[in-house]
Amino acid sequence: MSTTLERPALDTPRKVPTAKDTGTLLKGQKRTGWALLAPALLHSAIFIVIPVVAVLVLSLTDYSFGDTWSWVGFGNYADLARDVDFLASLWHTVLYAIVVIPISMAIALAVAVGLNQKIRGLGFFRTAFYIPTVTATVAIATIWLWIYNPGSGLANGFLSLFGFAPNRWLADPATALPSLMVVGIWQGLGTKIIIYLAALQGVSRDLLESADLDGASRWQRFVNVTWPSLGPVQFFVLITSIVGTFQVFDLVYVMTRGGPGSDTRVLVLDIYQNAFQDLKLGYASAETVIMMIVIAAFIGVGRLLQRADTND
Amino acid sequence: MRRGVGLTVLAAALSVVVSGCGSGVIDKSTDGVPPAEATGTLRVLIPSFPPSTKGREAFQNVVDEFHKTYPKMKVEPDFATYNNLNEKLATSIAAGIPYDVMVTGVGWVQPFASKNIFEDLGKYGVTPDFIKEKSTPALIPAVTYDKKLYAYPLLADARAVALRKSAFIEAGLDPNKPPTSLAEIKVAAEKLTKRDKNGNITRSGFDLASATGFRQSFTTFLASTGTPLYVGGEPNFDNKAGLDTLLWIKSMINNVQPYGQTNAAQQPLVLTGEAAMGIVNGAVDCSDKGIGKKNCDDLKFFRFDSGKEIEYVGGDLASIGSRSHHKDAAWAFIQTMVNKPTLDAIAKLNKKIPAYKDAGNSPQAQSNPLSNFTANGLQYAANENEVPSNWLEMRGNFDIQLTQAVLGQKDPAKVLHNLAGQSR
Repeated sequence: MSTTLERPALDTPRKVPTAKDTGTLLKGQKRTGWALLAPALLHSAIFIVIPVVAVLVLSLTDYSFGDTWSWVGFGNYADLARDVDFLASLWHTVLYAIVVIPISMAIALAVAVGLNQKIRGLGFFRTAFYIPTVTATVAIATIWLWIYNPGSGLANGFLSLFGFAPNRWLADPATALPSLMVVGIWQGLGTKIIIYLAALQGVSRDLLESADLDGASRWQRFVNVTWPSLGPVQFFVLITSIVGTFQVFDLVYVMTRGGPGSDTRVLVLDIYQNAFQDLKLGYASAETVIMMIVIAAFIGVGRLLQRADTND
Repeated sequence: MRRGVGLTVLAAALSVVVSGCGSGVIDKSTDGVPPAEATGTLRVLIPSFPPSTKGREAFQNVVDEFHKTYPKMKVEPDFATYNNLNEKLATSIAAGIPYDVMVTGVGWVQPFASKNIFEDLGKYGVTPDFIKEKSTPALIPAVTYDKKLYAYPLLADARAVALRKSAFIEAGLDPNKPPTSLAEIKVAAEKLTKRDKNGNITRSGFDLASATGFRQSFTTFLASTGTPLYVGGEPNFDNKAGLDTLLWIKSMINNVQPYGQTNAAQQPLVLTGEAAMGIVNGAVDCSDKGIGKKNCDDLKFFRFDSGKEIEYVGGDLASIGSRSHHKDAAWAFIQTMVNKPTLDAIAKLNKKIPAYKDAGNSPQAQSNPLSNFTANGLQYAANENEVPSNWLEMRGNFDIQLTQAVLGQKDPAKVLHNLAGQSR
C-alpha cells in the first residue's frame, strides 16, 4: 500500500491575500491580543485605576471616616501648601532620595564590578550583599537601632576606639536623617548589585577584547565600553530607586517615627499619620496625589538625563 | 457611547468604593432580640488584654461569662495596642465592618463621638452620677462629649513621681521632703545628675518620661500649676503658665536628662536606677522577677504640686460602635467586663488601677506600693481634660512641635500659639 502525494501544479496561481483577508487576520490577532491582555487589564483596573481615581476624588473631599463629608475642591491642596509638616516631609523625602539614590547606585556598581571578577569566595560575597534585601525591614531596623544605641551600640563603640565622643545618632536632629540614609543605602544595595551584575555579564566580550587590543587601560575600558553598555540598566535601577526611596516608610516608622520633632518625617509617614492616626483621609489623599506627581517628575528628569547620556 | 459606558462603570465602581467607607452589613441586627436567641458575631477592639496566653485566658473568661447571657453570639476579639488603635478603627470603618465594642483611651472619645462613631451611652443609663457611684469620677471629662457620655471606664492609668532615697542622701537632699514644684524639682535634679569626665550625663537627675514626645509630660506639669490643657474644648496653654512650663522642660532636657533617653525594657528610668527621680507608671513589681524588694524600699513616691497637687490619670474606656448591629449585646459585654474580678484581672495584666469606686482597696492596689499610692490619689487626677474634637490630630502636633521647641528649633511661645490655633 502506498500513498501518492499529489504535487501541486506549478502553474496554479498562488492566491494573493486580499485586503479583506488581511483585515480578518489583523482583527483575529487584535482579538487574541486583547484576550491575552484582559487579565492584566482587569488587574490594573481593579488595583491601579480605581484606587487612583478614588484617591483623586477623595483628595477633593474632607472625608474623615465619619458619617458626613463634603466637597472641598482644592482646599486640601491649598492647606498642604501651608502645612509645615507636609513641607518638611516632602523636603526630607527629596533629600533622602537625592542622597541615597546616587550613593547606593555608585556603591552597587562598584561592588558589582568587583563581584564580576574571578575572585575567591564569589558566591559568599554575592549572598552576603543580597541578604539585606531579603531580610524584613523591621528586623533590619531593629538591628540598626541597636547599632545606633547611644549607650551600648556598635557605632559609638567603634568610634570610641578612635577617641570620638558618643553620638546620639537617632535622637540628634543633625544626625537622625543621615543615620537613616546610611541604613537605606545599605539595605538597597543587594538588588542593585544583582541587576548590575547581570548587566555586566552581558557586556559584549568582543568590544572588551577590541578595547584590550587597542591598548585601552581598565579605566578606559570601563568608561568607553562598560558604562555605555549599562545605559538601559542604569535607567531601570534609577526608576526603581526613585520609587523605592519615595516610598520609604517602614524603616522610619520603626527607627524614629519621624522624630526627633519632625526631622526624619518622610512623605509616606506623613500620609500614614494623616490617614490612620489623625483620620484625615481626604487630606492624606491629596498628599498621595502630590507624591505621585513628584515621583513622576523625578522619573521625567531621569528620562531626560538618560536621553542626554545616550545622545552623548 | 462606549467611552460613556466605561466612564459610568468607573464612576459606579468609585461610588461603591466611597460608599463602602460609609456603612456595611455583616449580621442582622440583634437589638431587641431576646439574648438567648441572638446570633451573630460581636467584634471587640480591645487593647486592655495583652495578646499573651494569660491575656487570652482572661479574655476568654469574660467571653464565657458573656455567653451565659448570649449563648449563641460569637465574640471576635482584636487585641490591639494603643499604637495601632487608630489604624484598626479607621480600616474597620473604611472596610464597612466597624467594631461593636471599642476600648480606647483618654483623648479618643471626643473625636470619635463627634464623628458619630461612638454610641451615646445615656440610653443604657450611663450618667455622670452613675459613674460617680460605680466608677472613677476623675475620668468623667474623658468620656464626655457635648454633655453626653460615650464610654465607660475600665481602668485608670495613673502616673506618679518617684525618687531614689539613696541618691537623695548621697546628694545631701532629704528624701522625706521631696521636691514637688517645678522649681524645686529642677534644683534637686541638677544636684542629682551625675556626669562623666567629658560632661556626658551618666545618671539623669530627673526622668521626664518623654522619649518620644512631650505631650503627656507637658500636660502633667502644666496641670500641676492649676492650668488644665483644655477647658471645654478650648486651648488653655497659650499663656504665661504654658510658656513657663515649656521653658522649664527646655531647661531640663540635656541639662538633667539627655533628650530621647529610654531603656530597652521601656521601664521608667528611676525604677532601674538610670535616673535619681522621675515619672513612673501606676505599678511596680517588687518581687525578684521585678526590681526586687531592696530597690523597692529605696523608692519614695510623691505627686507634682506647683500650686495644685495632681497625678496624671489616663484610662481604658469602653464604647459601643454607633454602627453596631449588636448594641444591646455590646452593652452586655461591657457590663461583663466591669465586674470586679474581671477588672482586677485586667488591672494586673496592664499594671493599671481598676476603675471601680474603692480602687484603693483593690487587689492591685494592695499588691505593690506604687499602685497603692496612685490608687489612693485618684482624686488628684489630671489629664488633657476636655479636648477638642480634632484631638487625634493635635496629639501628633503636640509631640512634634513641643519637641521642636525643647530642642531649640522653634520659638516656644510661637509653638504654643500655633498649637492653640490648630485646636478646633
